[in-house]
Amino acid sequence: MAGPAGLFAVYKPAGVAWCRVREAVETRLLRELNAAPRRAPRQQIRFLPTPAPAPSGGGALELVPTRVPVLADHPLVQGPRFRRLKIGAGHRLDVKASGVFVLGIGHGNKLLTDLYNCHLTKVYTVGGLFGKATDDFSDTGKLIEKTTFDHITREKLERILAVIQGTNHKALLMYSNIDMKTQEAYELAVKGLIRPMDKSPPIITAIRCLQFALPEFQLEIHCLHETQQYLRKVVHEIGLELKSSAVCTQVRRTRDGVFTLDDALPRTQWDLRSIQDAIRNCRLKVETEIEKTLGHRDNSPVHQLDVQTAHGADS
Amino acid sequence: MAGALRAIRTAGPARPFHCRGLGGAAGPPSTRQLREAEEAAPVFQYTGKAARRKDRVFVWGFSYSGALGVPSFVKPDAGWKKPRRIQPTPYRLETEEKISSAACGYGFTLLASNTTDITKVWGTGLNKDSQLGFQRSRRDQTKGYEYVLEPSPIPLPLEKPQQTRVLQVSCGRAHSLILTDSEGVFTMGNNSYGQCGRKVIEDEIYSESYLIHQLKEFDSRVVQVACGQDHSLFRTKKGSVYACGWGADGQTGLGHYNITSVPTKLRGDIAGVNIIQVSSYGDCCLAVSDEGDVFGWGNSEYLQLASVTETTQVNVPRHLPFKIGKIKEAACGGTGNAVLTEEGNIFVWGYGILGKGPNLIETAVPEMIPPSLFGWSDFNSDICVAHIRCGLGQFAALTNRGELFVWGKNLRGCLGTGRMEDQYFPWRVTVPGEVVDVACGVDHMPGSSAPPCRESCGNGAVQPRC
Repeated sequence: MAGPAGLFAVYKPAGVAWCRVREAVETRLLRELNAAPRRAPRQQIRFLPTPAPAPSGGGALELVPTRVPVLADHPLVQGPRFRRLKIGAGHRLDVKASGVFVLGIGHGNKLLTDLYNCHLTKVYTVGGLFGKATDDFSDTGKLIEKTTFDHITREKLERILAVIQGTNHKALLMYSNIDMKTQEAYELAVKGLIRPMDKSPPIITAIRCLQFALPEFQLEIHCLHETQQYLRKVVHEIGLELKSSAVCTQVRRTRDGVFTLDDALPRTQWDLRSIQDAIRNCRLKVETEIEKTLGHRDNSPVHQLDVQTAHGADS
Repeated sequence: MAGALRAIRTAGPARPFHCRGLGGAAGPPSTRQLREAEEAAPVFQYTGKAARRKDRVFVWGFSYSGALGVPSFVKPDAGWKKPRRIQPTPYRLETEEKISSAACGYGFTLLASNTTDITKVWGTGLNKDSQLGFQRSRRDQTKGYEYVLEPSPIPLPLEKPQQTRVLQVSCGRAHSLILTDSEGVFTMGNNSYGQCGRKVIEDEIYSESYLIHQLKEFDSRVVQVACGQDHSLFRTKKGSVYACGWGADGQTGLGHYNITSVPTKLRGDIAGVNIIQVSSYGDCCLAVSDEGDVFGWGNSEYLQLASVTETTQVNVPRHLPFKIGKIKEAACGGTGNAVLTEEGNIFVWGYGILGKGPNLIETAVPEMIPPSLFGWSDFNSDICVAHIRCGLGQFAALTNRGELFVWGKNLRGCLGTGRMEDQYFPWRVTVPGEVVDVACGVDHMPGSSAPPCRESCGNGAVQPRC
């Protein structure tokens, strides 16, 4: 009986490193898998010497065939069935951040690479605070400077967000390495599907303000190839643009590709049953997304030309 | 901008933190110490009292005709520097006054400000037909400059120079029109087809000419002027349109194909209609009425008017029955046209790079450009286009968020994208600030913009003629 295999998402709480989360899930799963009833041990016929009954022999030993379990199958001899599980992690979250964290078990680890190559956007909810500047751009760092922030209005913030969005949209088109003169590029641009499919610097595809109550504010950011520290730096730079300063209080990932907050398992549900249900629920979504993105690339005219030349070379 | 980052310390309690003296032991500061240190820290203020937003002008495109207004591009100020033939991205142009209107002709630019000072209009670029007036040469006082490399004032023969304001300027191939609020329209430049609104003089020499003609005889005050290649259009307050100039393609719309040297009122389908905007750049003209209908006349070799007629020249304004909604603004290019509807969508038709990919080369019926190319998405569903402008082979659109999108033929870097290739769908131009207005020429563009929180930039693009 193999362990579970596939992709699922957990909710990583803030203040804990991502590897601890992965290890906690692994320990819990191992405990449950090993607690499950094992297969009954194999039986074998052995001829065991037993003392003969009193009337005949009288003290001589006799070999009696008996059915005994094989000692090699004894749980104390074999040890636990599962000692390690291959659990891989998707896009990581740093210590101060929280949110959706994708993990893969067994064969699902191969899908992790495919999901990474799909270059899907991630959605974060970033909370900020005006009036302070710290060395690591978060509210727990060393204070560098305090500034006034009464002049900031929601309209000014939205103007800055529009500028950020415009420059990042241009970077999106430039890093995607598509020839802008083709009809295919035009059609992808209309649908909004142009995005870099290779390494690129962090790009923000969409940003908007969810809440604004001085000195706090909350942004929703859709981005690619980012790190959480980059998002904190963006908050700091927004503060500078508004002639004040800002620190980031909260970074929470609400969506990672196709996995949303609804699919993420909270800590009380990190057990075998819930994980198996989660894998089953997400399997279809993941497969369609990978098929759509990478399958489109495999069926592109260039690929088909390669296939044809390969066939031609073979024959 | 230099004085904006002046930090003012606001007073806080003047007690130094981490003050433990010699008695206490060293160690990481406790939470209470950190909190007290934070409250004791001084608060800095980086904003001034009234940070108003100034407008600025940016130019990009071909510079050798002087149309960009930056002399160091043509004649570098140091011996080792090379002249810059093309400015591929927006470059800031320093102007003394705030520019309210700009226009590009074929190799020259006019910038106008609505101030009441004596100097209201500046011109730069080609001046071989005196389209920038007479620019006295400093070396020889009797001669004038053929190429003006820097925005130079254009003296206007105003009756009340300290009260009249210049509302708008417009440039054609070799002539310019300047619209004032109370003294009519001033025209200068080439008049070989009567485009300046005065009688054609045989063998007239246009270079180094002092002649600036004033036009006042219209049925009401002129509120908009538009220049085609060799003809001029005037729109009055009552909603009627006057035209003069070359008419071989019917672009004067007066029912004949001859030249007209006196502005004459147009009839045809626009008789009695209240026109709120006219536009022209090449040899085709479009007019928009207050009810959202569009009328066209002039050259139709590129299917601009093919929806109503098969002929290639239309010399009477015809109503174009497009079912695309109420039209707010129209822009006429050399071979392609574009209109902007009330909902903020752009429809293009004609010939050339129209903005819907390399496959759409020509169409007689308007096709909509998908709004997602201008930044519209489910996330930002209130983005729409606010203005549309046309150059000879390129289009420019301004959104309500102040972003500038260009597409079309990239002749000598006139698109301002930073690349030399043609652009087949709308592409964002990075201009520092929010763009307020843009003018397209043949191979240069001026734009005006306002910065997000500080000053705004203006645009400027001058197009040099190829």
